[in-house]
Amino acid sequence: MTRREPTTRRRVATYCYQCVAGPDLLTVQVDDGVAVAIEPNFCAAGIHPGAGKVCVKAYGLVQKTYNPHRVLSPMKRTNPLKGRDQDPGFVPISWDEAFDLVAEKLNAIRKSGLLDASGYPKVAASFGGGGTPQSYMGTFPAYLAAWGPVDMGFGSGQGVKCYHSEHLYGELWHRAFTVSPDTPSCRYLLSFGTNTEASGGVVGVRRHADARVRGLRRVQIEPHLSVTGACSAEWLPIRPKTDAAFLYALIHVLLHENARSALDLPFLKARTASPYLVGRHGYYLRDPASRRPLVWDVKRQSAVPHDTPDADPALEGEFLADAIEIGPDGEALERGSLTGTTAFGKLLEHMRRCTPEWAAPICDVPAATIRRVANEFLAQACVGETVEIEGETLPFRPVAITLGKTVNNGWGGYECCWARTVAVALVGGLEVPGGTLGTTVRLNRPMSDRTGSVKPGADGFMTYPFNPTDKEHWSARPNIRNAYRTLVPLAANGPWSQALGPTHLAWMFLDGTPKGLPGVTFPELWFLYRSNPAISFWDTAAITDKISRFPFIVAFAYTRDESNHMADILLPECTDLEGLQLIRIGGTKYVEQFWDQEGFALRQPAVDARGSARDFTDIATELARRTGLLEPYNAAINKGAAGAPLKADGYDFSLDVTKAHGREGIWDAVCRAASAELTDGAASDGLDWYKAHGFRTRRFSTLDWYLYPALVRQGLRFELPYQERLFRIGQELGRRLHDQGMTWWDEQLAEYQALPPWRDFPALWEKAAADAGLNSADFPFWLVTARSMQYAWGANAGIQIMHEVAENVAGHGGVIVNAATAARLGIADGDLVEISTPGRATRGRAVLRQGIRPDTLLMIGQFEHWATPYAKNFNVPSMNGLVPMSLDLTDATGSGADLVRVSLARVGGRE
Amino acid sequence: MTRWAMVVDLRRCVGCQTCTAACKQANATPPGVQWRRVLDMEVGEYPEVQRTFVPVGCMHCDDPPCMHVCPSTATRKREDGIVTIDYDLCIGCGYCMVACPYQARFKTDRASFAYGDRPTDAEDKGFDGGRLAVATKCTFCVDRVDAGTAQGLTPGIDPEATPACVNSCIAGALHFGDIDNPASNVSHLVAGNTHFRMHEELGTGPRMYYLWG
Repeated sequence: MTRREPTTRRRVATYCYQCVAGPDLLTVQVDDGVAVAIEPNFCAAGIHPGAGKVCVKAYGLVQKTYNPHRVLSPMKRTNPLKGRDQDPGFVPISWDEAFDLVAEKLNAIRKSGLLDASGYPKVAASFGGGGTPQSYMGTFPAYLAAWGPVDMGFGSGQGVKCYHSEHLYGELWHRAFTVSPDTPSCRYLLSFGTNTEASGGVVGVRRHADARVRGLRRVQIEPHLSVTGACSAEWLPIRPKTDAAFLYALIHVLLHENARSALDLPFLKARTASPYLVGRHGYYLRDPASRRPLVWDVKRQSAVPHDTPDADPALEGEFLADAIEIGPDGEALERGSLTGTTAFGKLLEHMRRCTPEWAAPICDVPAATIRRVANEFLAQACVGETVEIEGETLPFRPVAITLGKTVNNGWGGYECCWARTVAVALVGGLEVPGGTLGTTVRLNRPMSDRTGSVKPGADGFMTYPFNPTDKEHWSARPNIRNAYRTLVPLAANGPWSQALGPTHLAWMFLDGTPKGLPGVTFPELWFLYRSNPAISFWDTAAITDKISRFPFIVAFAYTRDESNHMADILLPECTDLEGLQLIRIGGTKYVEQFWDQEGFALRQPAVDARGSARDFTDIATELARRTGLLEPYNAAINKGAAGAPLKADGYDFSLDVTKAHGREGIWDAVCRAASAELTDGAASDGLDWYKAHGFRTRRFSTLDWYLYPALVRQGLRFELPYQERLFRIGQELGRRLHDQGMTWWDEQLAEYQALPPWRDFPALWEKAAADAGLNSADFPFWLVTARSMQYAWGANAGIQIMHEVAENVAGHGGVIVNAATAARLGIADGDLVEISTPGRATRGRAVLRQGIRPDTLLMIGQFEHWATPYAKNFNVPSMNGLVPMSLDLTDATGSGADLVRVSLARVGGRE
Repeated sequence: MTRWAMVVDLRRCVGCQTCTAACKQANATPPGVQWRRVLDMEVGEYPEVQRTFVPVGCMHCDDPPCMHVCPSTATRKREDGIVTIDYDLCIGCGYCMVACPYQARFKTDRASFAYGDRPTDAEDKGFDGGRLAVATKCTFCVDRVDAGTAQGLTPGIDPEATPACVNSCIAGALHFGDIDNPASNVSHLVAGNTHFRMHEELGTGPRMYYLWG
């Protein structure tokens, strides 16, 4: 070995879940108690779809552990003034004093009431990371559960800059919090900006590499030639925010330029609502007695309820039916002999004008290309073919369509998600082998069992936990500041709903709550962990200012950063290689994590905690003790807040609720429960076993990758293509809001269309300059962003090795400009350029490339740090400071998109 | 006769630099020294553009130009093909760095660390003053290969005997093995796929084979 031989060498198994594409498994080489190297966990190669490996980010964990800039002692602020220009005056304090200060605030809140005058929780918490911080925060979720109402809706990007529209609509249509192709068997993939080779993680990258060699043809449709485009068979440089037009044209080709028989007619008739009759008011025609939606039975030559056995429903046509049409709030709009058009028929009409010739000038992609791609998609779909999976025969449709960020969020996100799902449904490729699959559920329950979340609901569809919009149950008194329950029916009301609401609204409304909502207040105490909204959200200057006005911030701090710059208390927790936690792995999970195993993996201390860093579990337990919440805290752990319920049929490893347990005791109990769960009670191995083995799994059926069998078993249909329920909900929501005089959400209400039309989405962004009283032509460029695998999920910005290796990937370190555009503007490679929006500007070095549209600029990642050590010296621009938080650019689900119109000018040379 | 070689499957490489980082960590190289790294190459003109990622490093050439110019005999070639540098013999003249057509060699004159002039605990464990002011490069993780073969393990198959970059590659793009063994993993890959070697026309006989097409 290059290193001097150590006295002792250990290899410690742990997991990496730094990004949502994980978790993945690794080993840490520890020489004489010092972590020196990260390696794959080769013992996991047989069960991990990424061969037991971890990506580049995990190799930064050694430097992360020994980063000299780590906060290694609790700190308190001595300068009462907060702001970017204020030195916090952090001084080290003891843990005892830190707990005293935090508990004092918490106890005062408990005494005065957990909700403030506006009805919002006085305690707020922001975690960022798309849920991944939960795999690092030990039993802190149990503390929050014990506390009571907590506002987790001050976002750092989640719910807005994430796959947001896809999260909500995906879960509605096919239990798809995120969507993945069935990569191992897919043959043809249309990827609208899905940047798998940057963000797909270890498993995504491996699956796609295997698929490429096998012959998967991916067409990457994206304004710039991303690392994913580089690894694709074809790159189509589409104009930003026009993806819906491309998808609509694709549907047009399937419907109007090919024989009807080329589509998967049996699937459409039996597994979708295509045959449902739609009345003249836009609602389903329903059986007057049972209120079930009607179809026209070709055999009986009459309208019958959709679930009539042996019916052969017509896919197209206009029919007369004895029916009732029910509108919003249960109002009977019409009854009697009513004319209904099939939903499929309405789709045909809706798509008639959306030809490739229509889409071409919108998308800036030739019509012939759009047509060719559509016909290739159809040809590759293998309609009618089957495959056997674990003894069951399923349809085989090896084509898929995926959407990336900026496509599946913000205005146009609904249209893209809808069109994508309709397109794959037309060939029967939804939730079947080879096709387009959901990965997991976060809104539907249970979260650990996607297949189990398929339950019969109304009208032959799956249930969905909509927030109610009927008069009796809707409320303009939201439970938290981003008002998701009030404004976004699709956001449901589960543990994840807060972060899936319009999280930028909480920030915006602090300085002016619109009519009808209780005034948005500052939380009295804000917990912040693995989250840096002052860098990662929009309008970063405004966010920084607002954070400065939070009265008391408790930041679990790895290093100083731009958000904890305004904190009152910094608490150093045991970071990745020092802490202890057990998490679930396997099954199916976001991005491309499709396993044939499921189980648990341990994160265990590879090294002793540095400085005074403490394990998050111990911090949570102590906070519980000092705030009189020990019993409900332990009860929450017993119930499963630490990842596995400690008691079930046949075993009981419950903790004594009256005691303050150490982290080893708590996680030993969780490990025993995990062992018992996986072996149906046969095993009860605890922490020592997991420390030695690292993980434990059992078989997970690959049949559960696909939702189709569950729908067939339960006789259910996919709620497509016609969005009658969403249309109704939109009408009801509108009535509720208008009853309160709330008209500021009307633009968003307009999105609730049963068949969404194309809107000029780019124009919505183009008008921002006009709104500011300026000339749109002065902001001629689209500014987009893209993922960096090396930096993703933020905390890696201060890690030297990440910075060093990322410099090998084009674009890190500046703003990517089309070479011809740069030449036209007199900009040379490396020149200093200024990128501006109305009222805001940033600067960076020009990186000239051919692989980007001439009208588009690209800033990779999220930088412009000014406090994070090491990163603050990068001088790399970020788009976040340029993008305003705007209601105008917020869609119905409360999401936005990382997109803005900018100007570009040279301001200096290379030096 | 064993002849170690690497196969790089360009159909798989995604340019993630995981191998770059894994190599740095396994070999404790200082900031800026990348014995293995991945080039990000773009050709064509918008919109007809191609972008490709190319892992590079020492090719452990059959006829290494670095060895011919070395005045101190520090650079040598083993029978199994691995080109080695004896740091104790190297005088740091840098001729080899100029001679190498693959930009594979590095020289660091002063100790440097990730976060300034003091090593972290981890860097301290790997610091080797004998590697200052001398040429360094990819060794095909020769220590792992030798220790592994001594235990009867197969480099390229058994991870403990395999170069760190190959172990780390998340796309499965890197392979290592005995190219003189027709039944080896690398031999099968080369025989079964279109491939090329870099700067072959220079007559260096590089032992990194790139799969393409």
